[in-house]
Amino acid sequence: MFRSYALAPLRCVALALLAVFGFVASLPLMTAIGAVVTYPAVLELVRRLTTVSRRLARAWGGVAVDQPYRVGPPPAPPRRHDGWYEHDGQLFKTQHYAAFFLRMKWLGDDPARARDWSWLLLLAPVGGLVVLLVPALVLAGVLLVAGVTGPGRRALDAAGLTGLVSWPGLAVPGWAVLAAGVAAIAAGVLAGPALLRAHGRWTRLWLGHPGLTWWQSSGFGAWLRRGGHDTWKAALLLGLSLTGFLVFLLTLLLTLVSGGFGIAWLSYGIRPMLNHYRRLCAEWGGGDPIPDPYRQREAVPEPGPDGRYRVGRALYATRDGARRAGFFPWVLGDPATWRDLAWMATAPLVALAAVIPGVLVGAGYFGLFWQALFWPLWGVPLGLITGFWVSPWYCWQLLTLGVPALDVLPGWTSVPIGLALGLLGVLLAGPVLRLIAGWARVLLTPTRSARLTERVEHLVQSRAEAVDAQSAELRRIERDLHDGAQARLVAVGLSLGTVEQLMDRDPAAARVLLAQARETSAAALADLRDLVRGIHPPVLAERGLADAVRALALDSALPVEVRADLAGQPPAPVATAAYFAVAEALANAARHAQAGRVGVDIRHTGGLLRVTVTDDGRGGAVPSQGGGLHGLRRRLATFDGTLALHSPPGGPTVLTLEIPCALSSPRTSTS
Amino acid sequence: MRVVLAEDLYLLREGLVRLLEAHDCTVVAAVETGPDLLDALLTHRPDVAVVDVRLPPTNTDEGLQAALTARRQVPGLPVLVLSQHVEQLYARELLADGTGGIGYLLKDRVFNADQFLDAVRRVAGGGTAMDPEVIAKLLQQPARNVPLARLTPREREVLELMAEGRSNAAIGQRLFLSESAVGKHTASIFGKLDLAPSDDDNRRVLAVLAYLNGAG
Repeated sequence: MFRSYALAPLRCVALALLAVFGFVASLPLMTAIGAVVTYPAVLELVRRLTTVSRRLARAWGGVAVDQPYRVGPPPAPPRRHDGWYEHDGQLFKTQHYAAFFLRMKWLGDDPARARDWSWLLLLAPVGGLVVLLVPALVLAGVLLVAGVTGPGRRALDAAGLTGLVSWPGLAVPGWAVLAAGVAAIAAGVLAGPALLRAHGRWTRLWLGHPGLTWWQSSGFGAWLRRGGHDTWKAALLLGLSLTGFLVFLLTLLLTLVSGGFGIAWLSYGIRPMLNHYRRLCAEWGGGDPIPDPYRQREAVPEPGPDGRYRVGRALYATRDGARRAGFFPWVLGDPATWRDLAWMATAPLVALAAVIPGVLVGAGYFGLFWQALFWPLWGVPLGLITGFWVSPWYCWQLLTLGVPALDVLPGWTSVPIGLALGLLGVLLAGPVLRLIAGWARVLLTPTRSARLTERVEHLVQSRAEAVDAQSAELRRIERDLHDGAQARLVAVGLSLGTVEQLMDRDPAAARVLLAQARETSAAALADLRDLVRGIHPPVLAERGLADAVRALALDSALPVEVRADLAGQPPAPVATAAYFAVAEALANAARHAQAGRVGVDIRHTGGLLRVTVTDDGRGGAVPSQGGGLHGLRRRLATFDGTLALHSPPGGPTVLTLEIPCALSSPRTSTS
Repeated sequence: MRVVLAEDLYLLREGLVRLLEAHDCTVVAAVETGPDLLDALLTHRPDVAVVDVRLPPTNTDEGLQAALTARRQVPGLPVLVLSQHVEQLYARELLADGTGGIGYLLKDRVFNADQFLDAVRRVAGGGTAMDPEVIAKLLQQPARNVPLARLTPREREVLELMAEGRSNAAIGQRLFLSESAVGKHTASIFGKLDLAPSDDDNRRVLAVLAYLNGAG
């Protein structure tokens, strides 16, 4: 009982110091969290820090605080049927990395994580500030008592602290000061355990098991977090904008000094950064992704009759020279280059707005709000040693040096003012971020004509390829018919003609010929069957894509597992292209990959038919020019479809094709 | 023998009718669409149905679906399915109920009238008639079928012919074996495929099923 009262002021000091330590430690931890490798370790460390607060709440405040974290071991990555481990679309040969990323996600997704960080950055310091009241009262009382007692006075003189407790021009009787000092000490000591209990409850509110608190139900916590993120995102965009502005200045310089020499290289070189900026703006500012607006580089023209290459008005002897020369008109003739330059010239003006939330949060929250808590750390030792006492509101005083008018406000008001300014900064961060992203959207998105040009280029190319592919296909069919079924039917006709003549003279020979004719017609049918299978497999017409792929899987030399999730049927040409892509992938897996198992997954989401073929073979597949995959890619391009082959050495090989299409009304399937 | 025939091509339909009628069969109904077929199967309850997979009005697998629906209502209703192409997928679906009386042949097989009618009779008698092409496709994938890997080459040959639906006597004739030797082989096959002793016909169907399902 007595012990808890006596120890309370010291415990309060310890809690405040812990809060300061947590705040200071969280800053390097925030940096460390960016390095992927340390991510789980940092989160573990944060958990340990907050757990110390939980223990102290129980030991000193008598308030039990439960662990709020999700219980149980982190989920283990599932082993796929092909023996690999998957995490987030990536396959791993061993469990190790998949488990690491899964653990990272598990720790990161924990709802208590954000509350841990809020505790370190804001809530623990607030609590620490409040409990500091106890030692402050005791200290003030001790100083008051010391000021009016003989031995105390001498000790103060020796320490050089006399100035602290003497008020020239204010005459208060010694007994009153003594009484006030004793009262302050008594109040501090008596209030100690109660404040510690209150601090324990404060801890439980934030670090305990998350019932729905006001913090969550009001959405204030989420708002604050989002605003905080927006602040540093806007600051990062400002940094990139300033880099762009430097490039603009360099361009100006080059124009003045060298008449524009090097502009093309410069504006070409900055494109990756601008593309990164586009990505960030779309991701953070909301809205659709901003596509790359640049024109595709044209191929070097064929040499003329004199063997030279023409680029614009100049003739070049070598292909290389023509290619190099083509670089300048390509970059400088692209409107996107000049729009980039316009953006680089203007971006800092817009992006400067990012300074406002940054400064408000930095000066308000990290400066004015925090000054009082940092003061005991350095102001008190400094004062004790040198006798020069800095005001606890030192940041505020610095500010009043610049703006003397602010001096009318008492210093302590700077703490709430700082908090208010920080919140204002957080409030402004979102609109500022959207403003910056909006300006990027105005200048950095491709113009309508650029988009149309690109589309036309794509269509011209895919149409040419489709026409080529189609005529090659027709030639193949013609050849097959000519050498196969047609030739065999001629043979049948010949046989039948001979039979007609032999029928009366030599019935036995006629019968032999008839049997032959029958066999030949069967062979012709078999030829036609193979041909039809290559054009449009009958099972596809009869059953649709999913069952056709299942039939394909049954015919494969490898065990193939087919998973299909289709609510209807894709258009016939799309289904045919997808079918042949799967057929090619299965054939490759059986022929080259030394695979043991193959999985085929067919699904339709978001207007996209996605087919994935995965095998557990040795990987390292490279699509050869003119190979089967190349043909498929060209075939898919006609539908704006894409085909991606991911085949690292050692496997697994994953072939993914995506075709935008709508599904027709569902038809019944038997399986 | 009473036969229901479903075929949408006029020439082929008339040809089949003539062929069947010439060999002591009565064609009680010759239809050309899926719904008509289901109707005819359920009203006439024929001794055997000869069905084309692809039928109007949708020109998808209407014939197959109608035959499967009818067999669900009349278990064991003998159906011989004809198609321009054979798929293991369809073969599995036809055999899935394990009651036998199933045939699945390429249309080419009608060229040989004797063999075709043999198949029709076998199916009508509750046996099976699988096209050699289905069997050939299965044989291309030896690695996938573990129980089949336990069979000796000779037993494999016997199973192949059994899967086509042939009797022990016919198998013996084909492989130049005595009927009792074939009997020994089939018993050994049933043992290796873990088929419990039961009615021999049924076991033969199950052996074929094991043959097909082993591929998955």
